[in-house]
Amino acid sequence: MDAKTLESDALTAIAAADTTDAIETVRVEFLGRKSALKQALREVRDRETGMTLNAVRERLEAAVDARDDELARAELDRRLTTEKVDVTLPAGGGGRGHLHPITQIRREVEDIFLGLGYRVVDGREVETTRYNFDALNFPAGHPARSPQQSLFIDDKTVLRTETSPSQIRTMEAQQPPIYVVSLGRCYRRDTPDATHTPIFHQVEGLVVDEGVTLADLEGTLDFLLKKLFGEERRTEFRTHDFPFTEPSIEAYVSCHVCDGDGCPVCRHSGWIEIGGAGMVDPKLFEFVGYDPERYSGFAFGWGLERIAVLRHKIPDLRELWRNDLRLLRQF
Amino acid sequence: MKAPLSWLREYVRVDATAQEIARRLNVSSLEVERVLDVGVPDADGNLARFAVGKVVEAVKHPNADKLQLCQVDVGEGEPRQIVCGAWNFGVGATVAVALPGSTVFSKDGELFQLGEAKLRGEASRGMILAEDELGLGRDHAGIMLLPDGIEPGTPLADVLPIHDQVLDVTPTMNRVDLLSMVGLAREVAALCGGELLPIDVVDPPIRHPELVEVTVEDPDRCPRYIARVLKNVTIGPSPIWLRARLYAAGMRSISNVVDVTNYVMHVHGSPLHAFDRSLLSGGCIVVRRAADGEELRTLDGTLRKLDSRDLMITDGEKSVALGAIMGGQESEVTDQTTEVLLEAANFEPVGILRTSERLGLRTEGSNRWEKGVDPYSAEPAAILATRLIVDLAGAELTGAADIHSGLPARPVVRLRPERTDRIVGLTVDPDEQREILGRLGFEVDDEWDVTVPTWRARDVTREIDVVEEVARVVLERVPHTMPLRRLVAGHLSEDQRLRRLVEDILVGAGFAEAYTWSLVATDPDSRAILLPAPMTSEQAVLRTTLLSGLVDAARVNVDAGNEPIALFELARLYLPTGEQLPEERWRVGGIVQGGFTAARATVETIYAALHLELRVRRAVLPQLHPGKSAEIDAGWLGELHPALLDGEWGVFELDLATLFEPIPERIDYQDVITYPAVDQDIAVTVAEEVEAGAIRDVVVGAGGPELREARLFDVYRGDQIGAGRKSVAVHLSFQSSERTLSEDEATAMREQIVEALAERFGAELRA
Repeated sequence: MDAKTLESDALTAIAAADTTDAIETVRVEFLGRKSALKQALREVRDRETGMTLNAVRERLEAAVDARDDELARAELDRRLTTEKVDVTLPAGGGGRGHLHPITQIRREVEDIFLGLGYRVVDGREVETTRYNFDALNFPAGHPARSPQQSLFIDDKTVLRTETSPSQIRTMEAQQPPIYVVSLGRCYRRDTPDATHTPIFHQVEGLVVDEGVTLADLEGTLDFLLKKLFGEERRTEFRTHDFPFTEPSIEAYVSCHVCDGDGCPVCRHSGWIEIGGAGMVDPKLFEFVGYDPERYSGFAFGWGLERIAVLRHKIPDLRELWRNDLRLLRQF
Repeated sequence: MKAPLSWLREYVRVDATAQEIARRLNVSSLEVERVLDVGVPDADGNLARFAVGKVVEAVKHPNADKLQLCQVDVGEGEPRQIVCGAWNFGVGATVAVALPGSTVFSKDGELFQLGEAKLRGEASRGMILAEDELGLGRDHAGIMLLPDGIEPGTPLADVLPIHDQVLDVTPTMNRVDLLSMVGLAREVAALCGGELLPIDVVDPPIRHPELVEVTVEDPDRCPRYIARVLKNVTIGPSPIWLRARLYAAGMRSISNVVDVTNYVMHVHGSPLHAFDRSLLSGGCIVVRRAADGEELRTLDGTLRKLDSRDLMITDGEKSVALGAIMGGQESEVTDQTTEVLLEAANFEPVGILRTSERLGLRTEGSNRWEKGVDPYSAEPAAILATRLIVDLAGAELTGAADIHSGLPARPVVRLRPERTDRIVGLTVDPDEQREILGRLGFEVDDEWDVTVPTWRARDVTREIDVVEEVARVVLERVPHTMPLRRLVAGHLSEDQRLRRLVEDILVGAGFAEAYTWSLVATDPDSRAILLPAPMTSEQAVLRTTLLSGLVDAARVNVDAGNEPIALFELARLYLPTGEQLPEERWRVGGIVQGGFTAARATVETIYAALHLELRVRRAVLPQLHPGKSAEIDAGWLGELHPALLDGEWGVFELDLATLFEPIPERIDYQDVITYPAVDQDIAVTVAEEVEAGAIRDVVVGAGGPELREARLFDVYRGDQIGAGRKSVAVHLSFQSSERTLSEDEATAMREQIVEALAERFGAELRA
């Protein structure tokens, strides 16, 4: 048998095979156990013929494999072109749950302060008037001490009117340095309207250390407000009055809706009031036995609902308490 | 309070604009809510088109009975002819005139431009103005009469604030001194570099002196009482300058005497009251507590029932005013009044606040008293008011009394100027600190002993309070820095971290987070803490379970058609302890469509994610379907009792501290990779009442340490099994970390399990 003829016949057959099935037939015919080539190889007696035939076999095997790959790929391509789907058709996903927007802001604030080295303390909601008022330096006639403004359980027990009692509990439990935030529910006898609910959330921050200044407070709040409302915001701090801080300030952020030009959200002032802050009043240090000459500190207490409605442009704060999934699913 | 700028400028000379003043006050003193423009517009030379005029001729309009034809001298040489509908003036009257081209208000309060007109055939080249046409008041009964003697042609704007800007300010509780024009003027002078102008008022002399008898029985509540008697008073309307100021400040003009009391309160911040002295039948003033059940009809016509907590002003025989809050109707100043007793007193804040809160009666007066008014300010107020009543009502002063037992001393506080720098974080030169304090009325001596002005004596008593005075003035210069934060480590506690994890697990399971009220209408725990005076019956009890809030939230979403509904809440509960404070425990609760199975699946997910073994026990709980109700160590789960909400709802509630307690501290790796597992399934029949949990317990107990997994995957009931029995299929997986188990070993362990099941439950192997 002529090896050359066999090789050229085989190559012609390989080239002619147009399906993977056909190439398999070619493989059996020219390279199978019963093929002329295998027959010849079994019968070969001299080294030279053997080498020639083996070389032919190797070339043919490579050619068959190459053609097989080529055809398999073509067949795959052909099949894939018939398997088109409408990629724009939704597949029914998105059935996720949702954290409430207040929780999302709560975590965001916590994470900002965790990053700054603060701890998170839990505080408690039902408080003694001692922690809620006396220790926080509320004077005897302060309106907040009146049942007209606060929700009392009895003469000595009140639903906390701000998160600030957690300041006292934290200071009693440890020595400075203190860097903590405390977030949770507060209660006031406020008739519900678009900006008030009798139950609401505050974030409280407290720092007590050597050498803490009003500048440190402003720097910290500036950092927080830019994280919450955008790095391009400006902040302003205005004098205020709270029983538990002296000096006291109120923090404002340039309006994130109009960027300070004036719009209904900022009542055309360009500024949005966020909440109160100040340097811890020395009276509080006296209460917990800290030396006010050695330590100074700052504190702030802001409403989380207020931040949420401002950020998300929710027109009525009460919507946050309705638990309507049509609202919750947006977050 | 509304502070018209033209009025303010009477007490402070300053170049700053209204906007600049507002800005500085906002940062350093008090909230300026807005700056209002009042009066006619100040644009396009409008103000130049108003002049003072003198009526030189006034006759009836030849063609109209209701109109006057006037010739008015407005300083142009020739008088102008003006047609006017008012008749409250005649020749010689000094009036306000708008010239053609000016913009004024119509009767309906709309701005319009005045033109030259012909009215019933007569030319009218201007308008004689009523106060409403200038926006100075509401009166349209007649034209404004200006005081005689003003040169015709004088710009009207020099005489009246026909255009003004008004600061609408709200001071904080501690700054009642800023509820006064002089207080605001002082701040503006200090902040904007203005010059404080003195108020030059000469107290009128006392004519025909008489004794004014004043007794204060409760000097704690009424530390000072100045009474002045004025006779020959002629009650009448106030002059236009006074009416215009009151109007711009948001007050109603009533009569000259009443207007003076309001005006002076606005100037000095110390409220005053005027009685018709002839109606004080007792002839004197006695300040005392009310008798229990005493009644007084106040100026607003309401009969008030009072008790011994309330302070009364009496005339020795009867009550004539509810002290510091509102006068009595009976002794009110009226058109017939000819004798006035003027009260300029001082009252302690707390008692006033209590009375005003209890009666729900807040007035301009009580709003100031409840914040603590400076007792020193009563005197300048009394003097200014006396002067004005004498000048405006033709009265004469006939008697005066000033009852107090010593006015409070001014606090003296030592300031270390370097302390200011340490608190503020900004170096403020001591000279500048001294200057700031000086401008605010503080006296600082060489030793830095700071004497506090009387109007700040309640508020500034310590060094830190003085530091604040400096700090607020330099507030805009304070840099932004960060505290040092040595020895800090920011981290969540383990509980806080796990609470977040539970929230995330539930969100992953498709739940949306709800926030529901912690005060509820009723609570299943009869010991739950009740609010003695709740705002509404819907929020009266501190809850001991999250369930009712979640059921309400689910109902809201059913009504809105928001299916599928799955809600959770992670919040506190308030468990009564018998002590003063309840125990506040964190719980997580959920409600989900799909009944018992959905609840169980959710709780399984939570337990699995926390690496906890869930062990559920049948229980009967009132809030749950009696057949689909279970307890867990950390709480309960089941199907909501259908009486609480239509439909099949899975519900659960878990106490987080209990849930978290058994969480393994760390997870030790088990080698399940090196050697293959041998899987074998069994199915056994048992009596119907045998619970899956019990079967699993026996399987695990009998299976030995190499039983890696025992999962009940099928329960079958049918004819082949027989009545009252069921077939339970269990998937078993055996595996060792040390060697490959043989099929025979696995089979031996399986047989052990089957034997144990047979022994315990009479279970029969099916296949």
